[in-house]
Amino acid sequence: MLADYRNGVFADMRMLAVFEKSERIRHIGHLDIQRSVQRGLRRSGLPVAYSQGFNPHILITFASALSTGACGKREIMDVTMASEVTEEEFLTRMNRAMPPEMQLKEARAVEDRHPSLMGMVRAAVYDLVIRDGEQAGKLAAALPEMMKKDQIVTMRKTKTKLAECDIKPLIYSVRAEGQHLYATLALTERESCKPQMLLEALKTEAGIDGEVRMLVIRQGLLGEDADGTLRPLELL
Amino acid sequence: MDYQEKFERALEKVQKAPRYTGGEMNTAVKPWEEAGLHFGFCFPDTYEVGMSHLGMKILYGLINREEWSLCERFFMPWTDMIALMKEDGIPLLSMESRRPLSEFDVIGFTLQYEMSYSNILAMMEMGGVPPEGKDRGEDDPIVVAGGPCAFNPEPLADFIDAFMIGDGEDVMTELNRVILKRKTEGWSREKCLRELAGLEGVYVPSLYDVQYDEAGRVTAVTPKEEGVPATVRKRVVVDLNNTYYPEEIPVPYTEIVFDRIMLEIMRGCTRGCRFCQAGMLYRPVRERSLDTLISLAEKLQEATGYEEISLSSLSSGDYSCLPELIRELMRRMKDKRVSISLPSLRIDSVLKESLEETQQVKKTSLTFAPEAGTQRMRDVINKGVTEEDLLEKVRDAFRGGWNSVKLYFMDGLPTETKEDLDGIADLARKVVSEYFAVPKDIRARGLRVTVSVSIFVPKPFTPFQWAPQDTLETVREKTEYLKQILNIKGVTFNWHEPYVSYLEACFARGDRRIGRVLRKAYEKGCILDGWNETFRFDKWMEAFRECGLDPAFYANREREKEEVLPWDHIDSGISKAFLWRENEKSRRAETTKDCRKGCNACGLQKWGVCGYANAGRV
Repeated sequence: MLADYRNGVFADMRMLAVFEKSERIRHIGHLDIQRSVQRGLRRSGLPVAYSQGFNPHILITFASALSTGACGKREIMDVTMASEVTEEEFLTRMNRAMPPEMQLKEARAVEDRHPSLMGMVRAAVYDLVIRDGEQAGKLAAALPEMMKKDQIVTMRKTKTKLAECDIKPLIYSVRAEGQHLYATLALTERESCKPQMLLEALKTEAGIDGEVRMLVIRQGLLGEDADGTLRPLELL
Repeated sequence: MDYQEKFERALEKVQKAPRYTGGEMNTAVKPWEEAGLHFGFCFPDTYEVGMSHLGMKILYGLINREEWSLCERFFMPWTDMIALMKEDGIPLLSMESRRPLSEFDVIGFTLQYEMSYSNILAMMEMGGVPPEGKDRGEDDPIVVAGGPCAFNPEPLADFIDAFMIGDGEDVMTELNRVILKRKTEGWSREKCLRELAGLEGVYVPSLYDVQYDEAGRVTAVTPKEEGVPATVRKRVVVDLNNTYYPEEIPVPYTEIVFDRIMLEIMRGCTRGCRFCQAGMLYRPVRERSLDTLISLAEKLQEATGYEEISLSSLSSGDYSCLPELIRELMRRMKDKRVSISLPSLRIDSVLKESLEETQQVKKTSLTFAPEAGTQRMRDVINKGVTEEDLLEKVRDAFRGGWNSVKLYFMDGLPTETKEDLDGIADLARKVVSEYFAVPKDIRARGLRVTVSVSIFVPKPFTPFQWAPQDTLETVREKTEYLKQILNIKGVTFNWHEPYVSYLEACFARGDRRIGRVLRKAYEKGCILDGWNETFRFDKWMEAFRECGLDPAFYANREREKEEVLPWDHIDSGISKAFLWRENEKSRRAETTKDCRKGCNACGLQKWGVCGYANAGRV
């Protein structure tokens, strides 16, 4: 295998690892999760690659930042290794080095030329738990009506203002079951539908004004295979 | 378990939820049922402050290491969380298993600074534990406290059942064993406290009577019954190499105040600065060996993944093998990309060589603490540092590429005059000149000299324990004057509001009566007094008035030589005669030599624990 020169280091493999951000630590922000993974890598003693320069840092990226307040069942980290390591060893050593709240589930070694995960993300699968049973019932009842519409207009927060946005084309699928809403929503660098946007639209449809408490569990990230079919990102 | 759900809901509303969530690396303790004794370790300030504290990490590891005991952490919530907890009836919960404080067998507070005292009351009340000892019953926990402020336990006598005086790792397990017996032997609370009073280094205030004269001065503190010691002697760990030090410490998710490994290289200080309470309380000097430290550093690095190790002690520059230690740590940590920092650099002891080595990894700002502006004043406080020492170090630093220097001073020291304040500005100006004397192509750009002036607070067990603090009025005048004279290009002046230091002075040398003021102020809503945004000086003054006590009696009064001090029944090993001698010498601006150059007979030589007690006799 030909070694590749990237970010100032020679590296020939990357490890894609699926990990959990548990419900208990859902209020930890993305930057802190990043730092915690980096410290975990340092504790593991695994041969990770560092950037060059004045303040070397571990070469790591995340497929997608998870919002503060949300937990994730299958988040993905992408670590550049300085030398080869087996998937099993990576998993074992990292799970010893990570707290119970952030355990790894799978690891997959890929060549360094594997495309960047961030660019491959198309959608995310969510389990949205509506804490109040009565509200959940109303929302579930309103769902079929809402999905029949050509346009589902809701407000989207940008950095500076609130803008109107049609989320209809961004919803791949959504169904209600008990207190859960299971949804697959677009998530790309250009446009995405956040769970909160879906909830707002549904609240309007159901005529709910007050606060609706919702736990966001991101169950996985999806990308597209060669045929344009959505498949788990870590398998692509 | 209804409050668990309510707690989760509160987390969604508060500003900094991560400080309450727990689940950090190295905090998975054993299951509740597996331990006979449950210890709730309380840090009476916020998570970010408490998690930076080394002592907590030591005791946390120590208690959890024992099969039969378990330790969980508690911190002071911020005001937004407190409001939600009150509204929803959520008790103060532990970070680990989220159990209320009242379910623990013993709760322990660490007393690091006086301004955290109101938080102690708040935490107990929120945790469902009656704040005053007299109101606690057979089902309530035993409340203990330790740390530097425990050396004057009197202000907290109404609230704490037992104080641990001295090195905590030495007495902790013994204390827990006794409290465990309360459960296993069915001891009453009273019996348990009496047993605790029998341990060396443990002070149970309810077993002592305090007498006062008409002026309100303490005249005697005496045991109420036989078998209770008249004086309580501090505990001392003699050999730091054979005492417990954690090899795994909790690693928070969020950034805390000191987000790094703290390696305690030694305890104690031989310098004898007369204002410094820690310098007296932590005597004698004890060093950890090079081998112990290097092995600890490696284990801690592997267990935490931290990027920085700081060498911690009162005077790291005095560590006997400092260059070897730094060199060896750097050699081993370089590949792991760990930087080494020295926090409390003493300006007269840092080797140039080590400075250059520190720089190799990271160039941070250099901190110097001349403490006073003139040589006379530095002699008064026995800060054995000269202007030339300081300027030489600063020169080296500027030549070595540093551009940022912090200078720490105090004002309001005994015998201070206007000249001493002028000296602060003179010294700052000379530091600036040193920078400009370095050729442009060598020095780093952008000079930053920060001058911080704090207000002197006289503390127990120091030669200044008899001294008055400046009045609020005087402090304000001095600050205004300093603002004028420190208006120098390249110099930033940081001053302190006098109110916190004033209260600190009241409580530092307070007696048992001042506990009423604390209670009253807490009832008026005083909490989180160490934070500007929550500190309410007016409420504190109201509390003093309503209790019929005068803060000036505690802060601004000069004590007589013969006066019984409220802490005289605590034996720190340092004799009152030595402290008085030092006090007199300070009036004459006479210095006292470093203990390493010969014993100064501070009193500790009688205990046979000080390695310098017989050194270099003159």
